Amino acid sequence: MIIRFALNGEEKEIEAAPDRRVVDLLREDLGLTGTKEACGTGECGACTILVDGAARLSCLMLAIQLDRRSITTIEGVGSMEALHPVQEAFVEKGAVQCGFCTPGMVLASMDLLREHPAPTREEIRKGLAGNLCRCTGYQKIVDALEAAASHLAEKRGKP
Amino acid sequence: MDAMHDDPYLTKVRGWDGPAGGAPEVGTSFPRADAWSKVTGAEKYAADYYGQDLIWAGAKRAGVPHARVKAVHVEEARRMPGVAAVLTHKDVKGTNRQGVVRKDQPVLVDDKVRHCGDAVALVLAEDRETLKRALEQVAPDLEPLPGVFDPEDALRPDAPLLHEDHADGNLLFKADLEAGEGVKGFSACDVEVEHDFQTPWQEHAYLETEVGWARVEEDGTLVIVASTQTPFRDRSEAADALGLDIERVRVVAPFPGGAFGGKDGITVQTLLGLAALHAGGRPVKMWWDREESFAAGTKRHPARLHYRLGATKDGILKALQVYLLLDTGPYDHLGGVVMTLALEHAGGPYRIPNTSLSARCAYTNNPIGGAFRAFGVAQAAGAMEQMMDLLARRLAMDPIEIRLRNVLRKGDRTPIGVSLQHSIGMEECLSALKRHPLYLEREKWKAGAGPFKRRGAGAAAVMLGIGYGPVVPDVANAKVRLTRKGRIRVYSGVVDMGQGNAATCFQIAGSILSQTPDTLELVLPDTERTLPSGSAAASRTTYTFGNALIGACQALKQRILEKAADLLMAASAEEMVMEPGMVRHPVSGRDVPLARLAAFMAEPERTVTHRFRAPTAPDGIPVSEEVRIHGLGHTVFSYAAHLACVEVDELTGEVDVRRYLSVSDCGRVINPQAYEQQIQGSVAQGLGYAVMEDFKVRDGQVETRDLSTYILPTAMDVPDVDVVAVQTHETTGPFGLKGVGEIGTSGPVPAIANAVADAVGVRLSRWPLTDERVLEAMQGMEALISGKDEHRRYDIR
Amino acid sequence: MRPVFLPKNLGEVWEAWEQAPMASVYAGGTDLLVKLRAGLANPPALICMERLKELKGVRDEGETVFVGAGSTHTELLADPMIQAHFPVLVQALQVLAGPPIRNMGTIGGNVVNASPAGDTLPPLYILDAEVEIWSRVGSHTVPIIQFILGPGRVLLQPGDLMGGLRIKKRSGRWVHHYEKVGLRKAQACAVASLAAILKTDANGVVEEARLAWGSVGPTVAVCPEAEEALKGRPLCVETLRDALPVVQAAISPIDDIRATASYRRHVARGLLLRLSLLGGQ
Repeated sequence: MIIRFALNGEEKEIEAAPDRRVVDLLREDLGLTGTKEACGTGECGACTILVDGAARLSCLMLAIQLDRRSITTIEGVGSMEALHPVQEAFVEKGAVQCGFCTPGMVLASMDLLREHPAPTREEIRKGLAGNLCRCTGYQKIVDALEAAASHLAEKRGKP
Repeated sequence: MDAMHDDPYLTKVRGWDGPAGGAPEVGTSFPRADAWSKVTGAEKYAADYYGQDLIWAGAKRAGVPHARVKAVHVEEARRMPGVAAVLTHKDVKGTNRQGVVRKDQPVLVDDKVRHCGDAVALVLAEDRETLKRALEQVAPDLEPLPGVFDPEDALRPDAPLLHEDHADGNLLFKADLEAGEGVKGFSACDVEVEHDFQTPWQEHAYLETEVGWARVEEDGTLVIVASTQTPFRDRSEAADALGLDIERVRVVAPFPGGAFGGKDGITVQTLLGLAALHAGGRPVKMWWDREESFAAGTKRHPARLHYRLGATKDGILKALQVYLLLDTGPYDHLGGVVMTLALEHAGGPYRIPNTSLSARCAYTNNPIGGAFRAFGVAQAAGAMEQMMDLLARRLAMDPIEIRLRNVLRKGDRTPIGVSLQHSIGMEECLSALKRHPLYLEREKWKAGAGPFKRRGAGAAAVMLGIGYGPVVPDVANAKVRLTRKGRIRVYSGVVDMGQGNAATCFQIAGSILSQTPDTLELVLPDTERTLPSGSAAASRTTYTFGNALIGACQALKQRILEKAADLLMAASAEEMVMEPGMVRHPVSGRDVPLARLAAFMAEPERTVTHRFRAPTAPDGIPVSEEVRIHGLGHTVFSYAAHLACVEVDELTGEVDVRRYLSVSDCGRVINPQAYEQQIQGSVAQGLGYAVMEDFKVRDGQVETRDLSTYILPTAMDVPDVDVVAVQTHETTGPFGLKGVGEIGTSGPVPAIANAVADAVGVRLSRWPLTDERVLEAMQGMEALISGKDEHRRYDIR
Repeated sequence: MRPVFLPKNLGEVWEAWEQAPMASVYAGGTDLLVKLRAGLANPPALICMERLKELKGVRDEGETVFVGAGSTHTELLADPMIQAHFPVLVQALQVLAGPPIRNMGTIGGNVVNASPAGDTLPPLYILDAEVEIWSRVGSHTVPIIQFILGPGRVLLQPGDLMGGLRIKKRSGRWVHHYEKVGLRKAQACAVASLAAILKTDANGVVEEARLAWGSVGPTVAVCPEAEEALKGRPLCVETLRDALPVVQAAISPIDDIRATASYRRHVARGLLLRLSLLGGQ
């Protein structure tokens, strides 16, 4: 069936089986391998994307559910030339090691900051509790979110 | 979709994606070169390789722990539309055996199934759905054999044998060592403590599971792209097992999405290679899902340890007796090496004049034990550091004080007799711990526990030998080139699985050649383009490859200066100075850009290789050559002192690690951020091992089959870790450094167990310290949930 | 390939069921899609409910609040009426899974899934929630304690849909409490849980108590005897300890991969003692 949705700001029209997993549609049909799969059962968060701004797990979403939604994957967040403040903070604070959890973590972070623009470290940990990382111990990811929140606040002109 | 990967296996040359800036100074925090491509999702892992006409390969797993193979019925599966091939051991033209030390693991089983995860057939299909259904159709005809699920049972004379051709039955390896007077040393002791410990499997649980992609090229080369720590060894193992000329095999290693030892050796590579040989030139992909990774991948060895420790009434250690027994599962897979490292570290970082140490490693039909960060040491230190606290309690001594009284210093001999001639900061680590606010304020913090909560603090002192030991050469070969465009290209031989050694290459090359990072390039490990440099393991990559790279960069620098001197007709290379992008002759004020210089140099002139072999010291320890080959003993050690502050809930038994301090000596810190990354990450894995990662196996079947039942720490479960570096200077290390990859993993189990004992007065005989075990111990029950209540004694065999 | 329907309104749901009577319904998919992958369910078709406005929203009905079955956990956490009237449910939602799953999962899904460990269930039991069941021909209401029959089994006939929950507002000073014991701090399946609401007078003496335990039986365990035992007594450890024996009889935990029955028994009683911390609020 034909599915119409917005992907990283661009209107898309795709032919896909309605029950195709979104993670497979993104990675295999569209070549967007930035979204990862690490469990397939909703336990790890590596497949996190934004659907109308909210973090969702693409391994537990079927293609038909994309209809008329606005999807953001990691490829739509920033580019090498122009990183999103969250990405910049991840790089600067050393929040990236093997990097496999990173795309999902970045997107979950963006949703978190949208809901909580000035989160405490505890709130950050809570907000990222659905994204597993096996390399960092999370500390530098929390550091990065603090820095990103503060940077974004500055950009908004708030003290 | 063609656009994805035109030439997927030609590892691209990476540049620096960050801002142009000054030459990276050794000793400063420096963002990692790979961070940009990873944070934007642009980095391609082995899992991200697809391509036109892709075939999916999958293994049929045995599902039973021990059986004779009568037949494997593949006709039904072969007939299914969309199935390209179904292969069995008959299709394997080589030895059909793989393994690092002992090649005892089949690519596809031929005679016997030895664990549930054994591969009995390989299916090639057009898509994953078809692959799944075809695998269900493959019918192995198996005659079940009695299984061996306990390593002690495995060593009984009447135990069913896993490898009938193995001379020692189910005993894979053993080692016995005595120093001083052995157990006679107990007669000099005023006190003794004795305890048994039982440690679990630990699942690596890297986010990127075992995965790879392969294709036979038009010229007949088999190219394998794999998530691996060992591309060069993989190449020779694959050639051997599949019966190929090694020159025909190329292995490419992208950044793995985590490895931690679980990808030290063959995972998908041989099955992939076999599939590609039958795919008519089409690319093949094999990607283990999480459940398959649990069933078929390697894990940290479970162990049983018996400890007897004796000291004078002043707390001076006099005697140690240890028996340790590892369950290595069905295949060698470094089991003997793990056992040997455990033995070497059994006595911890202390002077103990009389030791009697015995270790055994047994084959069972349980999951495969293999390498896992701080292998052998995590088990041994988990036990020894609890023994030290037991002793301290018996003597009413402060736990840090008793450690300081016995701590190893330069020139001392370790409990197995290795003489410590290299940098050692163990005492300084303990002293720094004592001065730290977390330690100084611990009693006040403990007193602040709320209702139904009890707080405790516990410490641990650990050491870890880096590299391969005295016999197996710990060698790396670095290659660097001045490119035609005037850039410096480093050809890395060691895999970066997240530890950041790729970034360190930029730092080292930039520093020695005075180049800014935007002019540096990196080629990731590729058996066709980079040089053999050993495994990404044993905390050796930056130490060994870093040293090789320093040599190569220094030699390249010399060549560049000489050539520039020639070009500018200066008197000698000594008059020339490297600067970003150029070589300058201060005397005359003239300079030559590197790109221009390169034009005057043929490629061999612009390319330097340098080999480094890590030093070893013969110590005359009375063990066999075989034990020495397995790594006994090491020469350069890293050290750490850890402090855990925990809060135990009296109503649920929950152990909440509230604060944590790591003080380590890993030599000179060349990038503080990378150093902290390693320490924080390894502590987090140690914390999971200590309190929540309870891997369950029954009769050879994995019961915790996925991430919903095998519990990994989330962001809410790991506290902020204070990271302190005691910087000794290791003269043999690049810029004075030592390995930092593993040292943090061994501290959490004992530090947390000691803290729990401090908080609620109970000490368990096993870990993880799950809520259930802690609550039951607090309520007075012997905490051996398995039902085996009695303390065990082990007969030395 | 499995047909999937994405109905925009209730009428399209009935039509979909007419075309595919054996189709399974899902909203967030966090339970059903996991089961499909594991081969534990194999329906011929799926109906995704996420676009149905009729199932969304929290409505003030005066004495009651109506919660649409299709409300996600995140939506409910942010809803001022839920926050104001049902803090015990808010506390449970805060510890349910992790943020992405809370964005996807719905309260209807949690109820219909009827897991013994479902986090929303103990609170809904003590709030005396009623389930509104919709079908093509009409609707009717069933108390939640009758709606949930056993693990994974609810009182829905073929052609029935869970429309929502109707929960009565309570007057007076009630203290709300939910505690979940899991194997880690987030994204953990409950090993045992306790939902409690307590009405106390100005001196901290219990006037009324409602208690419900999760994960210690095939469905939520209630214990009216324990609730009685607390009445007229101050909310302190001694009072709660006296109630422990009857709690034992009310629960029937099992051994499973996460915990033993013995541990669940210990903890179910321990959780009751924790209520002593609420005294004086």
